[in-house]
Amino acid sequence: MRIVACIKAAPEDQDIHVAPDRTLDLSRAAWKVGAYDLNAVEAGRRLVDEVGGELVGLSMGGEALAATKLRKDVLSRGLDRLVVVAGDPAGDALQTATALAAAVNEIGDVDLVLLGAGSADRYAQQVGTVLGALLGRPTLNAVDHLEVQRDHVRVERLLEDGVQVVDVPLPAVLAVTSGINTPRIAGMKDILAAGKKPVLEVTPPVGAPAATTRTVSVLAPEQKDRGRVLVEGTATEVAQQLAQFLKAL
Amino acid sequence: MTEAWILVYDQEAGTALTRSARALADRVVAVSLGAGALATADLTLTVDVAPGTLVEAYARPVAALLAERGATLVLAGADVRGRLLAGQVAAHLGVSPVDVAGVVQASPLVVTHPAYGGVAVVTEEVTAPVAVLVVAAGAPGPAATPPVSGSSAVEASALEPEPGLVLVETRAKSGEQVNLASATRVVGVGRGFGAEADLDLARAVAAKLGAELACSRPIAEGVGWMPAERYVGVSGATIAPDLYLAVGISGQVQHLVGVRGAKVVVAINKDKNAPIFAHADLGVVGDLYEVLPALVAAL
Repeated sequence: MRIVACIKAAPEDQDIHVAPDRTLDLSRAAWKVGAYDLNAVEAGRRLVDEVGGELVGLSMGGEALAATKLRKDVLSRGLDRLVVVAGDPAGDALQTATALAAAVNEIGDVDLVLLGAGSADRYAQQVGTVLGALLGRPTLNAVDHLEVQRDHVRVERLLEDGVQVVDVPLPAVLAVTSGINTPRIAGMKDILAAGKKPVLEVTPPVGAPAATTRTVSVLAPEQKDRGRVLVEGTATEVAQQLAQFLKAL
Repeated sequence: MTEAWILVYDQEAGTALTRSARALADRVVAVSLGAGALATADLTLTVDVAPGTLVEAYARPVAALLAERGATLVLAGADVRGRLLAGQVAAHLGVSPVDVAGVVQASPLVVTHPAYGGVAVVTEEVTAPVAVLVVAAGAPGPAATPPVSGSSAVEASALEPEPGLVLVETRAKSGEQVNLASATRVVGVGRGFGAEADLDLARAVAAKLGAELACSRPIAEGVGWMPAERYVGVSGATIAPDLYLAVGISGQVQHLVGVRGAKVVVAINKDKNAPIFAHADLGVVGDLYEVLPALVAAL
């Protein structure tokens, strides 16, 4: 079975510097593969180990994807190879999914496309839903467990108030939850092997769809004005003050 | 007259969605997938959902229906099913779904949503001819707006689901049901707790205060001491209680974005320089292992 795991590199949000005027400085932020994407890679690896086949990583993005360190990092987590499509990481779900759909078709004979819960930057959780529609394949999100049964996958889908058990015919597109597995931490052997794994750069499709929105601003959220009163002292003292404050609410 | 279409598969969620839609349009039309007529809408197109069929299997015919009726504003809820339905409907209509945490203005439509794990808020104007919005609970406007009744006309609409997905069964979630969003008081716990059993200290305070217990991401997704439903933060729940008491939580933006709506924030942390204190109305510098038992005694 050939499985594609979609991944997205994004600036590490801990490294984003916020200026007093609420503008962001991303220049010092390292680009990393999103934590939730690693759940898709791990789920794909486990399925391939079980039923045989190949796990292909697929990513659309800009310069960040050219970095050897980032490529090796994601390849060391269980991918057999990586396919990279040049594109704007700030694109919307339709633009991103359009590029990914073309790459999935180019990779060919893909039985299953896996995605994480959401990207590290936007976390709109929508690339998978749109990708499934573009590819015309059965699509589900919030997949918390999956099991291959001959020509289909049986999945458990985690809703807000229950769990759906769904049979999904292959080929399909599934977005997994962050709780489906614990992604492996690469060992030295995996990191060394990652350097030898193939990376293929494919050309993006011509005629990308128009953007759905126009960005007005990207700013740090406005700080809510809080009291910011600090109390210190012995545990009994501060607990008394705190209890008084809470009772007065 | 502006018209908003809402995608509904549950009465309660549908009523909340009507409220969001009324803030953006004068007339609300619901497409109800197996949830019957919606009293708060002006018109409901009811669709019978065959047993064993997921509501999302209707995405393509719903998109065709919306196109045929000339819908330009479509809303779905930001729950698991709403997201999939909205994403697929949007794709079939040739646009991207738009994530909406807040609405700046209705015309032209300008919305906001968080990015970079809560470090940023993106403000964007919808420029596509059709807007398919994935609306977070309570957005836009205050959730307390009284429900406006519509003329509640009903029209049956026969749509054929796409084949493929087969719903084998639906199970109730194991464990307790939590609804943090409606809690008026919440006690949040973080990495300051050294062991799972120590959370009882926070439980005792929560019991005294009549508060729900919540946690930061490491507690739910790292050590797994609490279920994911109790995790507050950018990829978890967003809450707006009257009181949020953060205990042993350092105050990463990823967590703070989930409690921004709290009326009063109180923090207990032993590190005087913890970022949480800059976002708290009252900060208590102290060891939670000493302060919490003393607080239970004092309350």
